[in-house]
Amino acid sequence: MLRHILSRVALTIPTFIALMFVTFAAIRLVPGDPVEVRVGEHGISPERLAMFRHQLGLDQPIWKQFLDYVWRLLHGDFGTSLSTNNKVLSEFLTLFPATVELTVSAMLIAVVIGIPAGAIAAVKRGSMFDQILMGASVAGFSMPIFWWGLLLIMLFSERWGLTPVSGRIDLIKYYFEPVTGFMLIDAALSDQRGAFLDALHHLILPAFVLGTLPLAVVARMTRSSMLEVLNEDYVRTARAKGLSPFRVIGLHALRNALIPVVTVIGLSVGALLSGAVLTETIFSWPGVGKWLIESIFRRDYPALQGGVMLISTLVILVSLAVDILYGVINPRIRHAR
Amino acid sequence: MTAAPDSFAIGAPSGAEATPSPLAEFWSAYRENRGAVAGLSVVAFVVLCAVFANVIAPHSPIEQFRDAVRAPPVWETGGSWKFVLGSDGLGRDTLSRLIFGARISLFIGLAVMGLSSVIGVTLGLAAAYFGGFVDVAISRLTDVIWALPSLVLAVLVIAIIGPSLTNTIIAIAIVYMPTFARLMRASAMTELKKDYVTAARVTGVRPLRLMLSTVLPNCLAPYTVQAAIGVSTAILEAAGLGFLGLGAQPPTPEWGAMLADAREFIRSDPWIVTLPGLAIVITVVAINLTGDGLRDAFDPKLRRS
Repeated sequence: MLRHILSRVALTIPTFIALMFVTFAAIRLVPGDPVEVRVGEHGISPERLAMFRHQLGLDQPIWKQFLDYVWRLLHGDFGTSLSTNNKVLSEFLTLFPATVELTVSAMLIAVVIGIPAGAIAAVKRGSMFDQILMGASVAGFSMPIFWWGLLLIMLFSERWGLTPVSGRIDLIKYYFEPVTGFMLIDAALSDQRGAFLDALHHLILPAFVLGTLPLAVVARMTRSSMLEVLNEDYVRTARAKGLSPFRVIGLHALRNALIPVVTVIGLSVGALLSGAVLTETIFSWPGVGKWLIESIFRRDYPALQGGVMLISTLVILVSLAVDILYGVINPRIRHAR
Repeated sequence: MTAAPDSFAIGAPSGAEATPSPLAEFWSAYRENRGAVAGLSVVAFVVLCAVFANVIAPHSPIEQFRDAVRAPPVWETGGSWKFVLGSDGLGRDTLSRLIFGARISLFIGLAVMGLSSVIGVTLGLAAAYFGGFVDVAISRLTDVIWALPSLVLAVLVIAIIGPSLTNTIIAIAIVYMPTFARLMRASAMTELKKDYVTAARVTGVRPLRLMLSTVLPNCLAPYTVQAAIGVSTAILEAAGLGFLGLGAQPPTPEWGAMLADAREFIRSDPWIVTLPGLAIVITVVAINLTGDGLRDAFDPKLRRS
């Protein structure tokens, strides 16, 4: 077991080194004077230029600059934002809970609807329900998330007035200091009547929009995995023993069918974060995706560099965790190598 | 819809007939999937629109009719046949922009697919043939690209090289390249172990020729399916970048960029927002259905499942 974990961890180290190299190289590829790119000032005097060059270490040989960069990353220094002068890491951490809240809720929606729907479709294979669900899942795969968001805003918020258009909570009615950064939890802790419901109200539409793609994937994956499992001998045995269909499907079949589904969920973190960039932009959701896009428009390259580094690190770590967990759940994988 | 293969009625051609040509056999397998046929027809329609855009589009995609700003489509009150699908905030005809947009989206899709295939297939074949250090280096490179969320990577590339249509293609091709590289590596490795490759080697076929004309053609089936899906993914990603203002720049009638312009009219003129998105969804669904159909037709085992 320990060997399995260690080998997985070892495999991600070269990926990390390559990632650090990519982000290091990226900021040097930005056209323009490297000092101006990092300091954000234009037409600086030669003295200031020399000072900044020294301060930023740009007068050092390139391999030393890279090692310095790696050294700073390892000490948690992801650079300083040009537009706010804050540390990129602290800015990221302030916004990150909003993104986590959004993505986790999206995944919850996908799982809670997708798994039962996929399982029912497999059991009632070829039925009307199955056909509609599979059709909807193709549409879900193909949905441009930003348009889907706009469409739902148009219907639910503008036409029917059911949900708010943007933001995480009604800031005029409710105000409280953030404790955890998760609006739902903070609202529940705040003792303000209606705050929690209002936060939930703000969350539901963006979470559904972001959850649409994983919902399509989870439903389809559950269906095909379930179809395979339903043909297995142990399911036939369970049926022959006279167990109720609910027990056979719910306990024996579904539990085994879920192993590949869990992997797919874990591995879709990257796709989810890509979607979060668009969803946050549409709903003015103050998370890291929106922040990343805004830093591009502000030409805040250090923030972009640090942000990409942090997001990618996260995705790599989650994939690693999924990989390890998969080995824990499924001993066949663990002993395969 | 993938429900169609469930019909067991029409099977493979029975042995009694003369052996049909591979293409005819492929087509008869493909035709079994009704969704795939429908998808292919829509794809053909979009391609025709793209090719004959200047013939069928009623207006120029960038001409601004100042007297008809935000004209409603023909079925709404106040709509006219002059602007069948209405006009946008600058008085440009939506239908014409959608038709020309098909050209841009398909071009992006095909260009991304072409560029990422050439690089990906080359890297994949090289990794499989040389193995060792080359394989490790290529695999790590593709790992890093895969670790980054696709849109975040595309956005990073765009931030460096600047937003434009060409750069959109480059950015998405970089994002999509590892998929082809991995696919090719895996299938080439399987093929390399087979007897016919050994036979070719023994007869003294040179490495380049061995990889390109002996191994590559046998890896094409999974590649074709992935390429079809790649086109639709590229269209979606490009539209996403266009929507963020990081893709094709105005006045290019790119579908995603059209949506970005339309956001302010979400309340007053919903059709300006609805139509470009509908064009994207229909095209992407059609390409995905075609890809599904190709996969089923290539792989008889899957066809029956």
